[in-house]
Amino acid sequence: MKMSNMHSEQLCVNMGPQHPSTHGVLYLDLRLDGEEVVDCITHIGYLHRSMEKIAENRTYTQFIPFTDRLDYVASMNNNLAYVLAVEKLLNLDVPERAKYIRVIVAELNRIASHLLAIGTFAQDLGAFATPLFYCFREREKVIEIFDEVCGNRLTYNYMRIGGVQFDLPEGIDRRIKDFIKYMRPKINDYEGLLTNNPIFLERTKNIGILSKETAINYSITGPNLRASGVQWDLRKDEPYLVYDKFEFAIPTGKNGDMWDRYRVRMDELSQSLKIIEQAIAGIPEAQATVKAGRMIKPAAGEVYFRAESPRGELGFYIVSDGSVNPYRLKIRAPSFSNLAVLRELVKGVKVADVVGILGSLDILMGEIDR
Amino acid sequence: MKNYFKRLIFGPIDLIKGLIVTFRNLITPAITLQYPTQKQAMTQRYRGLIDLYPVKCIMCSQCVKICPTNCLALTHKEGPDKKKELESFKYKMELCCFCGLCAQVCPTAALYMNKIYEIATSNRKELEINLLNPDKYAEWAHPTVR
Repeated sequence: MKMSNMHSEQLCVNMGPQHPSTHGVLYLDLRLDGEEVVDCITHIGYLHRSMEKIAENRTYTQFIPFTDRLDYVASMNNNLAYVLAVEKLLNLDVPERAKYIRVIVAELNRIASHLLAIGTFAQDLGAFATPLFYCFREREKVIEIFDEVCGNRLTYNYMRIGGVQFDLPEGIDRRIKDFIKYMRPKINDYEGLLTNNPIFLERTKNIGILSKETAINYSITGPNLRASGVQWDLRKDEPYLVYDKFEFAIPTGKNGDMWDRYRVRMDELSQSLKIIEQAIAGIPEAQATVKAGRMIKPAAGEVYFRAESPRGELGFYIVSDGSVNPYRLKIRAPSFSNLAVLRELVKGVKVADVVGILGSLDILMGEIDR
Repeated sequence: MKNYFKRLIFGPIDLIKGLIVTFRNLITPAITLQYPTQKQAMTQRYRGLIDLYPVKCIMCSQCVKICPTNCLALTHKEGPDKKKELESFKYKMELCCFCGLCAQVCPTAALYMNKIYEIATSNRKELEINLLNPDKYAEWAHPTVR
């Protein structure tokens, strides 16, 4: 019997829901032919908390703490997108100082989120502990700043409709400046550790290539889209808050492979530092909040607002019927579409690369299942 | 072929670069706190358990209304001099999401959030706190709470 006539059965491997590198509770149904992945079916819904339905029974202010729990490593950005959506519905303009504060905290949180993404990505590839712990050390600094600003470490609940909960505490601008000074050399450390490391390059270069067309067809957003060579960043293309006043570049990749996705996140770290530096320098002295009224009652209507969260385009679609509760609230989570493309990416790769590709996409189950 | 030699030469150099980073970090002091013996001071705005100054409370129920998880409940009665008086103020800690909306909305700052964070207990009944009892944390299992 010839070897070419021999057929082996496909092997079904259940990866997850409890698996250290699925970043939450994700269940991948992998079909393997030898060591090659033939098909991958993603099963989601293990973290479903029906956030959108909860929103219908809460007032507009009461829903802000729930947005913290969507993308729980970048709560500030979730808060921000939600309050901006409600403010758009109310036609409310916030004071200039509040806008600057929002930019500062959102960018700080982007750094924290990207640090986690880079650290866990390196760990998924087998760089056990070292890069992850270094990233966590720097992330801790950001979290400590947030602890001082709003009193919590992960679920901040800092943004309010019409401004922010508190003004920045005294002396925090110096602390943030110190952090920027501390962070810049640390980025070079990561470059030395990972970027050109031959093992890292072997594992990431030309693997999991996401082409420009596929990325657009699957409506991928955020660093994953930019790694494929599409220059699309809502902070630049549809500026909200005061992003149009700052100078920053949009880093893009060329091939859209795992290494490019890592590269884009690394470059975004320094761009975010640049934005924070400019925002700290230009922050005006004024009141940070505007009274939106205790009971927020927008006129009947609907609104869609999208903002650039660390994982991509986070959108809130709110339908108001004129009462104190939203009639319907839909969340467009970036990780959801970023995960959808996984099936295309893992076809034909080795099973060990599935973990790396998943890590490079930087998905977060909290906002996929909502 | 060209790539092969390139990797052969530059690969070890980049590996050494990474090792230099780790060695530089090897001689830096430890940054972790040894938790049960060393403790970090909580920040000024830290949001711990909800606490109450019963004297300041004007029974407006705004905290009860704003709470997203319905963890607060208060009742009041008429006192001897026909003044409103707090009868009970229950705080279900297991429902609380520590968002701080209640403390923010309180007009007299009677409700605030204290710095207690070691709140694990083995008895579920202890999770329901009577905020009027001045000795409310006395029966708490953990010694540091007092």
